[in-house]
Amino acid sequence: MNNRLKVLRAERDWSQQDLADRLGVSRQSVNAIEKGRYDPSLPLAFRIAAIFEKPIEDIFEPGLE
Amino acid sequence: MTSTANSAARKWIVLFVIAAAVISVLKLTGAIDSTTGFILLAVAMLLLIPFQRALARSRSSGANQASVRYTRRIVISSLLYVLGLGIAITLDRRMELTGAMALVIALLPVLPIFGMIWAMARYIIEEKDEFLRHRAIMAALIGLAAVLGIASFWGFLEQFRLVPHAYGWWALPIWAIAMGLAQGILGWRDRREAGE
Repeated sequence: MNNRLKVLRAERDWSQQDLADRLGVSRQSVNAIEKGRYDPSLPLAFRIAAIFEKPIEDIFEPGLE
Repeated sequence: MTSTANSAARKWIVLFVIAAAVISVLKLTGAIDSTTGFILLAVAMLLLIPFQRALARSRSSGANQASVRYTRRIVISSLLYVLGLGIAITLDRRMELTGAMALVIALLPVLPIFGMIWAMARYIIEEKDEFLRHRAIMAALIGLAAVLGIASFWGFLEQFRLVPHAYGWWALPIWAIAMGLAQGILGWRDRREAGE
């Protein structure tokens, strides 16, 4: 899955740690999701969407697998 | 405070590894007997108590309390395992263990092993960070793959009389070492990519 986490973070001037703190997860988790190495569960994806106040499909999109 | 506690935790674990290595060398070279080796190892394992406390301090402000509880449970189980193993082996060498007595003595090191397996299960249940949970499960599966692979290969080598007999209790150390290595490598990769 591709995602726009890095862009959305940059727009808000948040570091990975800032986002991790808001989500209540580790920075390593945010990094792994951002780099596409780990696809979040639906509950976590919804939490990410809520924090950025956007629908999930504006943040995540299917990759070209 | 956190980095100070982190470096303190590192100091204690390095001290423990050095102590365990020195004791192993002394035992392997025949400088000390098994009983002395077990007593020294049990004493060296007390170093894991300040390690666990330093680790708890370093993570007291973070969300990851599950790993602190996991480390505490593993340290306690490991201490009991070394004590149980030392007592069981010493008794086995000094008297003829049979029947119910042998069963009870065999349980001394085995019950702490059940404790380690329970600690791992509790960690997977209690870890709220799904990525860290996923990584722990992957490491446990790598440990399982090592046990299955090595045990099967060794079994055939033993059948062909190429290697000596290996006791079944080797399963847990192989699983734990392979899982620990996998956790270490996966964690190192993730921290490196996160720039930590």
